Amino acid sequence: MRKMLAAVSRVLSGVAQKPASRVLVASRNFANDATFEIKKCDLHRLEEGPPVTTVLTREDGLKYYRMMQTVRRMELKADQLYKQKIIRGFCHLCDGQEACCVGLEAGINPTDHLITAYRAHGFTFTRGLSVREILAELTGRRGGCAKGKGGSMHMYAKNFYGGNGIVGAQVPLGAGIALACKYNGKDEVCLTLYGDGAANQGQIFEAYNMAALWKLPCIFICENNRYGMGTSVERAAASTDYYKRGDFIPGLRVDGMDILCVREATRFAAAYCRSGKGPILMELQTYRYHGHSMSDPGVSYRTREEIQEVRSKSDPIMLLKDRMVNSNLASVEELKEIDVEVRGANQWIKFKSIS
Amino acid sequence: MGPPLRPNQCRSRLGAPPSLPAVCGRVARNPGLQVGMAAFAATAGRLLGLRAAGTEGRLLRLRGAGLQWALLQPASATGDAAQRRQVAHFTFQPDPEPQEYGQTQKMNLFQAITSALDNSLAKDPTAVIFGEDVAFGGVFRCTVGLRDKYGKDRVFNTPLCEQGIVGFGIGIAVTGATAIAEIQFADYIFPAFDQIVNEAAKYRYRSGDLFNCGSLTIRAPWGCVGHGALYHSQSPEAFFAHCPGIKVVVPRSPFQAKGLLLSCIEDKNPCIFFEPKILYRAAVEQVPVEPYHIPLSQAEVIQEGSDVTLVAWGTQVHVMREVASMAQEKLGVSCEVIDLKTILPWDMDTVCKSVIKTGRLLISHEAPLTGGFASEISSTVQEECFLNLEAPISRVCGYDTPFPHIFEPFYIPDKWKCYDALRKMINY
Repeated sequence: MRKMLAAVSRVLSGVAQKPASRVLVASRNFANDATFEIKKCDLHRLEEGPPVTTVLTREDGLKYYRMMQTVRRMELKADQLYKQKIIRGFCHLCDGQEACCVGLEAGINPTDHLITAYRAHGFTFTRGLSVREILAELTGRRGGCAKGKGGSMHMYAKNFYGGNGIVGAQVPLGAGIALACKYNGKDEVCLTLYGDGAANQGQIFEAYNMAALWKLPCIFICENNRYGMGTSVERAAASTDYYKRGDFIPGLRVDGMDILCVREATRFAAAYCRSGKGPILMELQTYRYHGHSMSDPGVSYRTREEIQEVRSKSDPIMLLKDRMVNSNLASVEELKEIDVEVRGANQWIKFKSIS
Repeated sequence: MGPPLRPNQCRSRLGAPPSLPAVCGRVARNPGLQVGMAAFAATAGRLLGLRAAGTEGRLLRLRGAGLQWALLQPASATGDAAQRRQVAHFTFQPDPEPQEYGQTQKMNLFQAITSALDNSLAKDPTAVIFGEDVAFGGVFRCTVGLRDKYGKDRVFNTPLCEQGIVGFGIGIAVTGATAIAEIQFADYIFPAFDQIVNEAAKYRYRSGDLFNCGSLTIRAPWGCVGHGALYHSQSPEAFFAHCPGIKVVVPRSPFQAKGLLLSCIEDKNPCIFFEPKILYRAAVEQVPVEPYHIPLSQAEVIQEGSDVTLVAWGTQVHVMREVASMAQEKLGVSCEVIDLKTILPWDMDTVCKSVIKTGRLLISHEAPLTGGFASEISSTVQEECFLNLEAPISRVCGYDTPFPHIFEPFYIPDKWKCYDALRKMINY
C-alpha cells in the first residue's frame, strides 16, 4: 500500500520539480512570449474591466500547462481510486475546472488567502500542497494534509482555508478573513469561492452586505459550472447573472475555461481590492466533466453530447495547448512530453499490478 | 511495533494505526486469544474488514466464542468488491408481518416512506412535498414517482436554501395546507434551526392559538452510514429535544417509519421526522399498502426482560437487540429492549415502568455523549425511580468529537461497547 501511494505521488509530484527548460527538443527556437486576445468580460457597475489582451511567457505557459495537467491527472486518479474503494466517503472532482484553480493562483500572490467549498482538490494543489499529501488525505492516511481526518472535503494549507462541506458556509468566513487582511494592513486579499448552487443561500447575501459596508478586500468568486448537484442554474436561480447578484458590489463575468482570461480578471480584481475600493464579485463560467460527486454519474440531468461538446471545444488544457503551439511558445512534442511525465506511463503499469 | 508482516497476512494498512496490522498478525497466528482482547480484536477485525476494501485480499471472517476477526488470504488477481465491502455494525431484524392492516408488500425503508407520502398526497388535496431534488425522486429515492402521479405543483424542488425551505414550509402550514419539507441531510438542518425553534415551535403559543403551523412535517435522513464523515452522519435529535413546541420522531424500520410518518403528517404540531439513512436499503420488511398510524409518544417494548432495560431509537435499536441476545447467551442476563420512537415528547411511563421492574438502565445513541438525549432520559429516570436503581444509569454514546471520517468504527457505540457497559452494570 505504501509502495503504491509512493509510486502514484512520485509520478504526479516529481514532475513539478523538473525545470521546464530541461525538456530537450533539438534545434527549435521558441518564442519567449506571445500576446493573446482574450474575451472581454461582462461588467456590472464597473467602468472598465480587465484588459482584452495579455502576454503569456513561455515559462508561465509551460508552468500552467503542467499544473493543469497534474490537476487533471490527479482527479482522474482519484476517480479510479474511488471506484476501487481505496478512497471512501465523498469525493467531488473538478476536472474541467482546472483553468479556474490555476488561473486564480496565477493572478494572486502566495500570501493572499483563499477559501472554497468542497470541490477543492485543485485549489489544494495550486495553493502549494503536494499530490502525495492530497492523495494521502483522500485515502485517510496520517500523511494527509489533515492527518486523514478530513478526507476529500476538508483539505487545508497555508493561506488556504479549505475545503468546507456545508454549502455557502465558507462565504461569511471568507469575508471575515478579508476583514483580518484589512486589519493587518499587509495588502492581502481573500478569494472567497462558492458555486452556482450556493449562490442562493442567505448567508452569501449577508456576507455581501458586510463586505461592502466595511469595504473589505474580498473577491467573491462564483464558480458557475451550470449545475448545482443535479439542478441546472435555470431551475434554481431567479437570476442566473451571478456576477450581478452582489447588487451594490461591482462584478465581472469571466470565461472560466480560458486560463488567461481567469488570470487577467483575477489580477484586475485583486488590484481593485488592494486599492481599498471594497469587495468585487467574479463569476467564472466553467464546467465539470464528472458528476457532482462520485455517486453521481452526471448524465441524468445533462446529455453526454453536452459534456462531449465542452470537452472538444472548450477544454482548458486543450485551449492553452493550442494557443502555445500556434504561437510557437512550445511544440506539440514538448507538451506531449509533459503529458507523459505527469502521467508517467511506466510507473502506472507498475501501479496497476500492485493494486 | 510487532514482527514484520508477511505478504500473505494482513496486507491492508489503509488508515489503520501502526499497531493494528501487527496485532492482526499476532492474532492470525494465535487463535486462542483471551476474551480480554475480544473487543480490541473485534474492532481490529472490523477495521480490517473496512480497510480491506481496495486490497487484493479475500476477506475471511472467523467466528469463535463470539469473537469476530478478519484474516486476509493471499492476493488473487481480481478481488470481489462485494466481499470487500465494509461490514455494518448492526444487523437489521425485521418485525413479523403485521396482520391487522390489510395487504402487505415487501418494502425497504425508502419505499415505505414513498408509500406513506403517496397515501398522504392521495388523501389530502392540500399536501405538498418540497425540498432539494425531490422532483426526480430525491437523493435517497424517497419521492420517486410522486411528481408524475400528483403533478409538479404538489411535488417540487426548492433552491439550495434550508432556512428558506423551512420558513416557506411554515408559511404554507400556517394557511392550513399540509407541508412536507425535506432537508437533504439532517446535517444541513442547522440553517433552518432558527426557523424551527423560533418560528415553528412557538407559532401557536405566541398567537394564542389564532395561528399554528401544525401541518408542517420536516423529514431528514439521519445517522451514521459507514462513510458519511462529518456532514453526512449526524444525529441532531438532541438539539431539537430542547425545544418545546415541536415533535421529534425516529423510526427503526420500514413498518414503523410509514406508520410514524403518517402520524407526524396528521399531527397538529410541527414534527421533525428523522430517517436512519443506513436503513434505507438495508431494512426490508412486509409493510401494509394502505395507510395506518402508529401513535406518537409511545415507546415500544420490543423484547421483554427482567434484569436490564435497554433504550435506543433508530438504527441503534438493532444493535441493542444483538446486545440483548449476547447478554442472554453469555451472561444469562434477561434484557428488556425499548424502542423510544418519539424523542420529544418521550414516553416516560414506559421507560420508568421498565426500570422499576429491572432496576438497571442502559441508553445508547450515536450522537455525542454530552447533552445527548440519553442525559435527559437518565436524569428523569433517576428522579422517578431512584430507589429502584441497582446500578448507575449507563449511557453508551458517540464521543464528544465531530463525527469522524476514517475513525467511524471506533466512534460509534457498537454492540461491544454496549455489552461491556452492560456487564459492568450487572457486576456493579
